[in-house]
Amino acid sequence: MTDNRRPARIHRFRPSMITPTDDAIPDYMNLMGMMFSMCSLMLKIKWCAWIAVFAALVGFANSRTSDDAKQVLSSFMLSISAVVVTYMQNPAPMTIPFLQ
Amino acid sequence: MWTAAKKIKDDDFSEFDDFDEDEFVVEVPSSSGASQLPIKTQSKKSDVVYNDGSSQSSMSHTTEQILSDDVTIDEDEDDDLMFDEEEFETSDSFPSSSSSVSSISDLKITEVPTNLTGNHWEAYHCEAVMVLVLLGYLINFLVGRSKNARLASIIYRSQRDLLDRNFALVGDNGQTRSIQSTDDQMNNDLTTNNMHKESESLYILWCSGRTSIENMLIEIRFIKRQCLFNSLAAMIKSINDTIIYTIDYSKDDMETFVFCLAKKRCAAKLHRDMNDLSQFCSERKNAEKRGLSGNYQILNEIGEVSSTIIDNRVADFIEKFPDALEYIHISDQYTGMKVQNDTQQPSPNTPNPTNSPPTTGTAAQQQDALNTSERSVRRVLIIAFNLVARNDRSLQVTTESIGSDYLRFVLHLIERVSSFRFTSKESKTKAIKNRQRIEEQFLKNVYQQRQEQAQQRREEKRRAEKEKIMQSDDPERQRKWEEKEHKREMKRRQPKMKQMKVKAM
Repeated sequence: MTDNRRPARIHRFRPSMITPTDDAIPDYMNLMGMMFSMCSLMLKIKWCAWIAVFAALVGFANSRTSDDAKQVLSSFMLSISAVVVTYMQNPAPMTIPFLQ
Repeated sequence: MWTAAKKIKDDDFSEFDDFDEDEFVVEVPSSSGASQLPIKTQSKKSDVVYNDGSSQSSMSHTTEQILSDDVTIDEDEDDDLMFDEEEFETSDSFPSSSSSVSSISDLKITEVPTNLTGNHWEAYHCEAVMVLVLLGYLINFLVGRSKNARLASIIYRSQRDLLDRNFALVGDNGQTRSIQSTDDQMNNDLTTNNMHKESESLYILWCSGRTSIENMLIEIRFIKRQCLFNSLAAMIKSINDTIIYTIDYSKDDMETFVFCLAKKRCAAKLHRDMNDLSQFCSERKNAEKRGLSGNYQILNEIGEVSSTIIDNRVADFIEKFPDALEYIHISDQYTGMKVQNDTQQPSPNTPNPTNSPPTTGTAAQQQDALNTSERSVRRVLIIAFNLVARNDRSLQVTTESIGSDYLRFVLHLIERVSSFRFTSKESKTKAIKNRQRIEEQFLKNVYQQRQEQAQQRREEKRRAEKEKIMQSDDPERQRKWEEKEHKREMKRRQPKMKQMKVKAM
């Protein structure tokens, strides 16, 4: 068996060689998370805060390893703080508008 | 009159003066239960509990709670009532029984907040549902992630030996500064012991250092098991895990042709989306003529290629693994997908010091693309396999058994493509002609775009000048500028006529 290995023909990996795919889910989720957090903080709507937490979680699950961890973390922090602040302002249980 | 009434009352009941309000305050908690106390403390200012026959005194003097079971208060109440009626039966300003009723009904009774009612946690059912959903998603994330990781390591282990025997470099994340010998790599770099994780559903492995090819990139694209929505969608749409081998050839190692053998469902998509396939391959033919099942279609530029590439080995492989092969795409003019190509030029084979990520298309990149009057093409062989569970076994067991089979097939194809050369001259000339045509189209496009850009720049400059002149408020300058513009317009319209005159002479 001939050895086909050629150490002289080694090329280094470049991240641009990965086949690009259209995956905008993590970006949309981050944006959604931030928007709903701000919405819940300004308008004191509880279900917005919960959706923000959910969006941050989905964004984190779909994120790439090369993405900045800071963005995902900040999204989480913002949404959790939105939940906490909204409940501190009004400890009553959440009411979903179209169900009641 | 109200003060007069108070004085009289005080005189009559002076012996009870000390007990006046304190009596009530003390006796209320002793005679009733402790639950009355918080209500009492809250109602100091606003809350009043209406009790029959006792409204007047409570309203006028204090805001005490009058209870039906409190004997002393009732007594006092009766006295007060009699006394008040005697004194004030004709008076309008002093609150009579009827007006006291209305005034009491005017009082706003605030509701006790729900979280103080005593039903603490039962009221928060919406929150409980949300928390459960979040926990469910999190659990699915952890389970899906670990499953993907396990599959990736199984694939790596099943192919590693064969890869080590064929490539000098297996596993590179592009970040370590120097490539040491394979022994050291095993000890230091985590990526060599497993595939490199790009995301929870994308694992890659870079191999390089072999005859006839430059490099090979193995991408394992899993279903996004870590996201609940994606895994549900995958179940509905029947998406599979795929392994994609992308092999880059250098200029001399590959003949110039474009070819694709694909399953029906993705042949149409590839033909539509891939630049090279849409430019060089005019039609899709059924692969039945070549002895393959009707499930496959062929896109071919040069006729003799298909009979060379689709040999017995390929036919046997398809027969043995009927659903495994998704597509084989061989091209020396690979430039990526159509949509992205408007904004970016994929990385060429020539070394590029600044490698920007392919999906971002900035104006500067577009400008760079226009400045280089060369299309950046790659010479590639792309093979995509589906990972499906076979023969009622689980996916893991199937993956373990077929990993090396896939790789052997890939290596065979690599050799086949690198050793293939056109046998007839017509094929070669046809290929050259096609490429020249596409190159000319490309150059024309670039030239057109450059012209448009130059035109835009000129327009903007003129607009800026005009604004400057208009703002300067100097009629002389404005007139001069307008004259200049007029001359320029005339000159632009005239040159053709001038040329004709010269020719005639």
